[in-house]
Amino acid sequence: MSGGAFDHLKALVVEDNQHMRTLLRSLLNALGINAVFEAANGEDAFVLLRDKQPDIVLSDLSMKPMDGIDFAREVRMSKSSPNPYIPIIMVTGHTERHRIEAARDAGVTEVLAKPITAANLFQRIGEIVDRPRPFVKAPDYFGPDRRRHAVEDYAGPFRRRDDFENDLAVR
Amino acid sequence: MGKFADDGRHAAEANYRPLLSEAGRKQAMAKLKSGDMLAKASRVIAMRTAELRGAVLALVDQLEEAMRAQDWPTVFAATHEIRGFAETAGLDATGRIANGLCHYLDSIDQLGLGPDGAIVSLHVDAVIRSARTEDDAARHGDAVAKQLAALVARKLADVKEAARS
Repeated sequence: MSGGAFDHLKALVVEDNQHMRTLLRSLLNALGINAVFEAANGEDAFVLLRDKQPDIVLSDLSMKPMDGIDFAREVRMSKSSPNPYIPIIMVTGHTERHRIEAARDAGVTEVLAKPITAANLFQRIGEIVDRPRPFVKAPDYFGPDRRRHAVEDYAGPFRRRDDFENDLAVR
Repeated sequence: MGKFADDGRHAAEANYRPLLSEAGRKQAMAKLKSGDMLAKASRVIAMRTAELRGAVLALVDQLEEAMRAQDWPTVFAATHEIRGFAETAGLDATGRIANGLCHYLDSIDQLGLGPDGAIVSLHVDAVIRSARTEDDAARHGDAVAKQLAALVARKLADVKEAARS
């Protein structure tokens, strides 16, 4: 069956649990993404990212030797990264606030909490397709803008408090 | 990296490429929102329920063994895996109880303390029982999960209070 919009996309699933990898692959296949590559940890994933050039990554958080946070940071920040802009969905059972913030600060695009449902997975993919966030570069961060909501009357370019303070200091 | 327009502050989208063309985006969104697509994907999950249940039961064996050895890192790792899987495998009560234990172990770790063996033991027993005896889980799982959640909340409040005084 033709996948239509999704059939030319390639996905990389990074997950140490084989059952979860298979489940994610099956869901992506159902959506029409037939080129799905699998890795059991961040190190192997980085190699596949270079060799297979996927368009989207679904990654677990807890893995060894390289976990999902370090993998995301490597993808965004490393000079050897083949695609620092690739959308990364972190699929995790670790829903504690500090872990979600760590994922966000590593440059993860979306977080999908386990248990996985088709609706939740599709919602996260929809966010990436329909509302891609601009990328932000800061001294210690490169990745999607971590502010989820746009300010209606924002005229840019500064938005951080210290941007204004620095700007005033220059004047 | 040099892949973005470096204005020294906020990065631009120089080399950022949307995942799909405008026409592709519309087609993709229609597909993602289609009831048929969602039903198809839900069937994919349902077809794997038995396999996932087997995986949860294997993890429960690991958890039981780790608990016997008081091997806390493995207890946490196995519980975390069970939490991620159980509800997808149709073991809702098991997932909720495992979630409560993960919350407790993570919170206690954040406070730099070791876990209370009794709290862990109560949860692990409940996880094992609810996963292995589905009838019991269906009848009592919710009540057990709620009571254990209340126990964890009280215990964490006590620990935080003790840390403050």
